[in-house]
Amino acid sequence: MSKLSFRARALDASKPLPVYRSRDLPDLADCGSINRAVPQMPTGMEKDEELEHHLQRAISAKQVFREKKENMVIPVPEAESNATYYDRLYRGDVKVPKQPIHIQPWGLDLDQPDYDMDSEDETLLIRLNRKMEIRPLQFETMVDRLEKATTHQLVSLSEAKLLLNEDDFLLQSVYDYWVRKRRSYGAPPFRCGAPPLRCGAPPLTPRVKQERRDGSTNGDAYVAFRRRTEKMQTRKNRKNDEASYEKMLRLRREFSRTVSILEMIKRREKSKRELLHLTLEEVERRYQMEDFSGETLREVSLPLVEKPAYSIPVTLNNRHRTDIKTVFQKKPVSVTDQLPFNLMRPKQTARRDRAGPPQRRPCRPAGPFTVNKADIQQYDFHSSGEEDSPPPPLSPSSSSEEEEEEENHPDGVYVFRRKAGCQYLSPGTKQAGGVDPALLQLPPCVRHSLAELILPPHWTGLSRRRIGRGGRILLDRASSVLDPVLKQLDQKPPLTSGATAASLTEVLSNIQTLRRFCFRPRPVQGPREGGTRTTESSLEDNRVTCCLSPRNNSGGITEEQYHIHQRQLIQMQKQQLEKLQNPVLYRHPAPCGTQSTKSSESSSKTLDSASAQFAASAVISAAPPPPPPPPPRGHVTTENKPYKANGVLHPSGPSRPPYSSSSSLSRLGLSARGSSSSSSSSSSSPQSLPNQRNQLGSVSLTHQHTARPSVPPTSALKLAAAAAAAATASLDRAPKVSTARDSHESERPLNGLSETTLPMEVT
Amino acid sequence: MADNVEIVEGCRLPVLRKNQEHEDEWPLAEILSVKEVSSRKLYYVHYIDFNKRLDEWVTGDRLDMKKLQFPKKEAKTPTKNGLPGSRPSSPEREVRKSLDLNVQSATAPSRGKTLPTPKRKVEAVSLATQVPPATPVPSLPSSTEASQASVFPAVRDPNTFKSREDHEPISSLTTNGTARRLIPSQPGRKRKANCGGTDEDSQDSSDGIPSAPRMTGSLVSDRSHDDIVTRMKNIECIELGRHRLKPWYFSPYPQELTALPILYLCEFCLKYLKSLKCLQRHLTKCNLRHPPGNEIYRKGTISFFEIDGRKNKTYSQNLCLLAKCFLDHKTLYYDTDPFLFYVMTEYDSKGFHIVGYFSKEKESTEDYNVACILTLPPYQRRGYGKLLIEFSYELSKVEGKTGTPEKPLSDLGLLSYRSYWSQTILEILMDLKPDNGERPQITINEISEITSVKKEDVISTLQYLNLINYYKMWLFSYKKYGQYILTLSEDIVDGHERAMQKRHLRIDPKCLHFTPKDWSKRGKW
Repeated sequence: MSKLSFRARALDASKPLPVYRSRDLPDLADCGSINRAVPQMPTGMEKDEELEHHLQRAISAKQVFREKKENMVIPVPEAESNATYYDRLYRGDVKVPKQPIHIQPWGLDLDQPDYDMDSEDETLLIRLNRKMEIRPLQFETMVDRLEKATTHQLVSLSEAKLLLNEDDFLLQSVYDYWVRKRRSYGAPPFRCGAPPLRCGAPPLTPRVKQERRDGSTNGDAYVAFRRRTEKMQTRKNRKNDEASYEKMLRLRREFSRTVSILEMIKRREKSKRELLHLTLEEVERRYQMEDFSGETLREVSLPLVEKPAYSIPVTLNNRHRTDIKTVFQKKPVSVTDQLPFNLMRPKQTARRDRAGPPQRRPCRPAGPFTVNKADIQQYDFHSSGEEDSPPPPLSPSSSSEEEEEEENHPDGVYVFRRKAGCQYLSPGTKQAGGVDPALLQLPPCVRHSLAELILPPHWTGLSRRRIGRGGRILLDRASSVLDPVLKQLDQKPPLTSGATAASLTEVLSNIQTLRRFCFRPRPVQGPREGGTRTTESSLEDNRVTCCLSPRNNSGGITEEQYHIHQRQLIQMQKQQLEKLQNPVLYRHPAPCGTQSTKSSESSSKTLDSASAQFAASAVISAAPPPPPPPPPRGHVTTENKPYKANGVLHPSGPSRPPYSSSSSLSRLGLSARGSSSSSSSSSSSPQSLPNQRNQLGSVSLTHQHTARPSVPPTSALKLAAAAAAAATASLDRAPKVSTARDSHESERPLNGLSETTLPMEVT
Repeated sequence: MADNVEIVEGCRLPVLRKNQEHEDEWPLAEILSVKEVSSRKLYYVHYIDFNKRLDEWVTGDRLDMKKLQFPKKEAKTPTKNGLPGSRPSSPEREVRKSLDLNVQSATAPSRGKTLPTPKRKVEAVSLATQVPPATPVPSLPSSTEASQASVFPAVRDPNTFKSREDHEPISSLTTNGTARRLIPSQPGRKRKANCGGTDEDSQDSSDGIPSAPRMTGSLVSDRSHDDIVTRMKNIECIELGRHRLKPWYFSPYPQELTALPILYLCEFCLKYLKSLKCLQRHLTKCNLRHPPGNEIYRKGTISFFEIDGRKNKTYSQNLCLLAKCFLDHKTLYYDTDPFLFYVMTEYDSKGFHIVGYFSKEKESTEDYNVACILTLPPYQRRGYGKLLIEFSYELSKVEGKTGTPEKPLSDLGLLSYRSYWSQTILEILMDLKPDNGERPQITINEISEITSVKKEDVISTLQYLNLINYYKMWLFSYKKYGQYILTLSEDIVDGHERAMQKRHLRIDPKCLHFTPKDWSKRGKW
């Protein structure tokens, strides 16, 4: 019939199967059961074993009889269960605990010896027991220890003695017995004739053969329970899962980035369209207005254009800085006059328009203004910078700090960025010369004050003391409109480096001058940076340090250095004397009428630090004479530290008279000197206030305006860093520096009022 | 004639053995080893197509020398002629093996393939080419690939003994690889023949540079380690508590203990000892009276103890060594760390006596809920095996998983599991009540879920019991309609009812105190 053509569907495990009794389906046989659609399941046995007679017989028997038949079972080797001595062997009865047995798996290994005594041992024990008492357990423990201590070689007797804390005789007998037994253990004739393969003497405690590291036992059927070297992979896909999970994460990240990029593109295109519309509108309007020359447009748009330029100074990192700004607004009114001419006219008019509040920043639009979109785009600075003059001198934007920070953008992501729609107010106005309470609250380190360096390179000007990295004290100089005036104050030191060298000291001072790191404030706009330079970047490199620091001890003090030092000291003393006689040398820069008393105060503070500097150098120079090497160096640095701390932490507040602070400093210096028990104690004579000042001058670098172009580093004071070679090197460097300076000098007129700072490093 | 012929390993001949009815039978057997004990030769024989557990040492008078077949030239049974009494793993043997390897062509089938199949037997009979006894030619190890015979029909000359020289050309012929490649694989050996690659491996294994077996599971299915050593029982007798057990298979107990007439085991910690005296001494120190694990089930005298193969290595290893004596495919190659051992005990006043056990992977990649399972011989055929199986599925039910025993199954394993599956499934089917007049229905998945028996096992059982039928009928006299149905025939129902009456031992889920651990969350097992 069509039976065979009738294809059965595949068996579906989730499909309900009706259950019938065969009596319910009399026609089942007729219908026939077609099993072929159900694939025959494997039995799960090895194929060849599946064919074994007994199994086949048993299976067929089961099929036939539906029951096990006694003679159809698979025969197995017999087992007996009639050990008669069982009850003697396993003594004692065990009660079933009520609770299920719970065992601590780690507590199973009791301190029982693994070795079990055999009958041979028993005879020995009986023999031994005639002479002494030895319990089987004791014996087993002994053998067990010997066995466990044995690896490749048998334990020696001496080792055994250490191992077994037993009576000598007992030990000897057991040891001998053990050695004998162990040696003969491999030998006894085995049932099969040939002894099994063994390496070395087999242990008396039989153990399953261990694998050997070299893999030689890999095929040995008697080696069992090998360590699993690789971690068993229990989850096939886990690694994949992890990888794909990470991929998914990345995919997601990338998609979301794409989305945001597209979002931004959309915005940009919208803006573009808007711009286009606006331009169109503008052109139309202009056309309507007949503004073909674009004049009206310029008039309208100019104020907008200047904004970005003026807003630059506002790019301050914090409010703090803003305060500084106010501080520095005590500038002579004449500043405007000194403005370079390259300022655009519109700007000036604008300024005048807004002239109401006193203006510290001549070029800057005072009063609130709204930053427009263009401002936000930092890149616009270029264009605005081109148009605009460099920022006015002394404007906080060009303060050394800012400049520094602008250099490297140390604030990174936290850099202040103007926000569209925000109103940025111009700094509060302060009357020049008025005592600004805010100023008093300022940490002195952020203020520039007029100060003077008496030592070459002589210099008078705005400077500010702060702490540099590593605790060095930096003197930041700021150039200002006052510079020309101040410059005149700077007296050219008798640079008598000529052949007639008046005295040794002079020569020395010249040398010193040549070696100090001291740089003049650099004018803002250097041609080297080109027109594309941003205002900020123009401030770069204006800071140079005067490093007096014994920076590292790596080289130790060379003899040369030592001598230089000595001489220096002498020179300083001399200068001190000089100053004593001529105390006027240090004075407030009188010509700057705008300089407030406060600023003089702060300048004195700066001097404090300078005095600190001196004290430090004094300490340094006080190093013990003849053996100049390292020890004094270390000494110096240690001495220096408190000093520095003093100079830094103790900066006499603005209200504090400069002298007191310097005196305290000098005292410190003195003590330092005393502690170093310097030979040059002459310099450490008790000092009066003017003396202090002289001291100061002697240490601090007097920056000479005339000499400015060539201010080489002074390695003499820079003890730590400077080995003799370094000193010469620095001398070599001098000309280079000077040329650079020269070029700057030449730029200067162009730059007009340059405003920069000049940090000097003092350690 | 037989007297002057030396019987070497690899020879085949009928050997007398008593069957279950104590009648004499002369099944064909293969000589696996020869040894001499007190000037009497003993032969280790494997009855072809009988399970290895029946292999035994026989005396010469049980051999039918008239029908002796010498190993084919490339008879793979390792020959150890001239070295009477040499132990399988003696150094000489190892050397020999490696020598053999050199001669062997790369395609030579592994020794593992030597397992006889009926077909081969037939051919082997006709094949009987002989190697003169005691010739050290053993170096042609080789497979008993019987179909060689058809390739070289001319060689067939069962009872003639030719000189070795005469046969040399043949041997070279037969051993060359190309000749072998012509051999069609036999149906029974198909699986092995298919994995030609593994042949190399298995060869290596006999050479002492084997590739390590897989690290999961506990059974060896590829027989890659089935060299002559492991083919032979090495322990004569084990005394365990009251019982003396005759091991069925090889077990890697320390080699020095294999020579003992009786190996003594502590009944509770399963430590192996060489003498009764040692056992006595040991028992003074061993205070275990139950397997060293947590008792997770107790009903009546039956208890189950759970032992962690990592935490209790000593016991686990001892248990494995014992179990290996009765499990052919069990491997002890790796440590016991990834396994849990469930030991079933029967309590009496002396303690909790081990009856059987099963091991289980802590994490199985293949849904195995049992790795090895064994009822110790004294307790066999009394329902304990089914109890063990039932318990393993109870654990799976608690875990909410379906499971299946690791393969390969042994013959007894297959019978036991089939029996358990049949009874379990029939129990469910018979209990199905008509649902408001409708005919009761059930899906295979439902059966699987209820029983925790893996779906494939359910299907195979339904097939085996012939319960599943495709029932077709004519609808409206023109359309055929068919569906699968389950039919319970009378004899199935009767047989089941009778069997269930005999099945007294059952697991009571209420007595199980078991919380499965999630081993995947642990760093180590």
